[in-house]
Amino acid sequence: MSFSFNTENTLKIDLLKKRYPQKRALILPLLWLAQKQESYIREDAIKHISDLTDIPYMHIYSVVTFYTMFRLQRPQKRVIEVCRTLSCELNGSQSIKKHLDDNYGQDCEIIEVECMGACSGAPMCTIDGKYVENLTLEILDEVLNVN
Amino acid sequence: MLTKIVSKNFEIPLSNTLDVALKNGRYSSLKSVFEKEPQELIDIIKESGLRGKGGGGAPTGNKFQIVSDWQGSKYVVVNADESEPGTFKDRQILLYDPHLLIEGIIATCYAIGSNCSYIYVRGEYEEFSDVLQAAVDEAYEKNFLGNKAGYLVDITIHRGAGAYICGEKSALLESLEGNRGHPRLKPHSPEPEFYFGEPTLVNNVETIASVPFIVQNGAGAYRAYGTEKSPGTLLFAISGNVNRPGVYEAEFGVSMLEYIEKLGGGVRNGKKLKAVIPGGASTPILPAHLLNDARLDYENLRALGSSLGTGGMIVLDEDASMVKALKNLLRFYHHESCGQCTPCREGSSWSDKILDRFIDKKATAADLDILKSLSKSMNGKTICVFAPAVSGVIDGFLKHFEEEFLECVK
Repeated sequence: MSFSFNTENTLKIDLLKKRYPQKRALILPLLWLAQKQESYIREDAIKHISDLTDIPYMHIYSVVTFYTMFRLQRPQKRVIEVCRTLSCELNGSQSIKKHLDDNYGQDCEIIEVECMGACSGAPMCTIDGKYVENLTLEILDEVLNVN
Repeated sequence: MLTKIVSKNFEIPLSNTLDVALKNGRYSSLKSVFEKEPQELIDIIKESGLRGKGGGGAPTGNKFQIVSDWQGSKYVVVNADESEPGTFKDRQILLYDPHLLIEGIIATCYAIGSNCSYIYVRGEYEEFSDVLQAAVDEAYEKNFLGNKAGYLVDITIHRGAGAYICGEKSALLESLEGNRGHPRLKPHSPEPEFYFGEPTLVNNVETIASVPFIVQNGAGAYRAYGTEKSPGTLLFAISGNVNRPGVYEAEFGVSMLEYIEKLGGGVRNGKKLKAVIPGGASTPILPAHLLNDARLDYENLRALGSSLGTGGMIVLDEDASMVKALKNLLRFYHHESCGQCTPCREGSSWSDKILDRFIDKKATAADLDILKSLSKSMNGKTICVFAPAVSGVIDGFLKHFEEEFLECVK
């Protein structure tokens, strides 16, 4: 079935349309809704957003690929993003990354990312988008084994 | 040393909810705002000497004036993209006092004659923008926002999607228009930013959150804090090798070492201080021996050859390798360059790759020269200040710690 927004999202979109002076501005909000709905951005979702905004498919595709948080593939596993920027590195992000690779590499997609704005909680990571700060290897095991 | 203006309500439980916010003074400035003419408010902001708190430190009142004077339907855009490494202050406002930000937006919109505001929040801050959205919803319910408010203001939260460069105001506006975040060329004479061609004010979260205190208590009350040229306070942040990393509001002009000692809890494990990156990754690093008289204000840090930036200090202790630290930052810039200008796209990537050779201790003397020449070729030759910042970062490390790099030459 080709992509369409569910009822809840369609209502949200109707509200959003009133908030922006041009339909073009809806591109990012619509991409977010599409990604939330399907867990990734389907190719036909790009086509659908192109139709809704009257903006060429290729422009929307170029936007999707510019921003690192948009995904064109369905995530197969739980996603863990480990911050690797300076404050986290000074606080041991490399050993966090190694521990994750060694113990959870099979079950999780482990990605290194740049500063998440959580330097006081260094080292940190996000698990499926949720911040987990002040990490130790023990805390990490606890969080990952409970969920 | 702790001076709480913007952070006054941070520790109150449930300060993000409207009931608690109202009990603790939120929205109380609006009465005095609406009693005044918009121009009076702009004059108060000018007199207060409020400077942009996102890193640039430009006089806020002048920006208000320029947008106010320009013809067109005006927009207020709040920059909550907060992606500068070492900076995590705006998220405290989003989490612990979102109504202060909303109050500031209402006052700002009234002052410059706008009815429409966007808050551009970095995509990673989803949990925090949810808190902010709940606060905005409450403010609509209680008619502080929307059609039934005394003065119409609409606030829409717009999520970014992972691009450091969107913290640059013109890239942010491109993103808000539905494009890739590519910075725009800068004008020769002062003019506002433009959102779909209409005059637009772009200010950092903390700047807008400082407006209620100033309009309620007057410019003099704000100037009672800080220095002559850097009045008021800043949500300074501290991270890295310290005992108590965090965000602590203080007056401009306080001693950096005292701040690190008293609020940051000092360098961890009793180690010696080696260097501080004073205001987010993009400000040149300063070695400890230059910091004895360093004060946290724009002028003092400028005189020391660095910059106050966002006030987000990264502290490095005696064990920190400067080669590794620079590699870490160059990898960041390599990853985040938007790719629009060649000197930046190529320079950030090439310098990052050269650093690998220093890390592996396989660098040649020529590598150091190439690094220096790359730095030169990035400075002042691009559309935005990203590349000049990278250049400043490289120069800072080489100026103060060149011997560590020479040790990696085979």
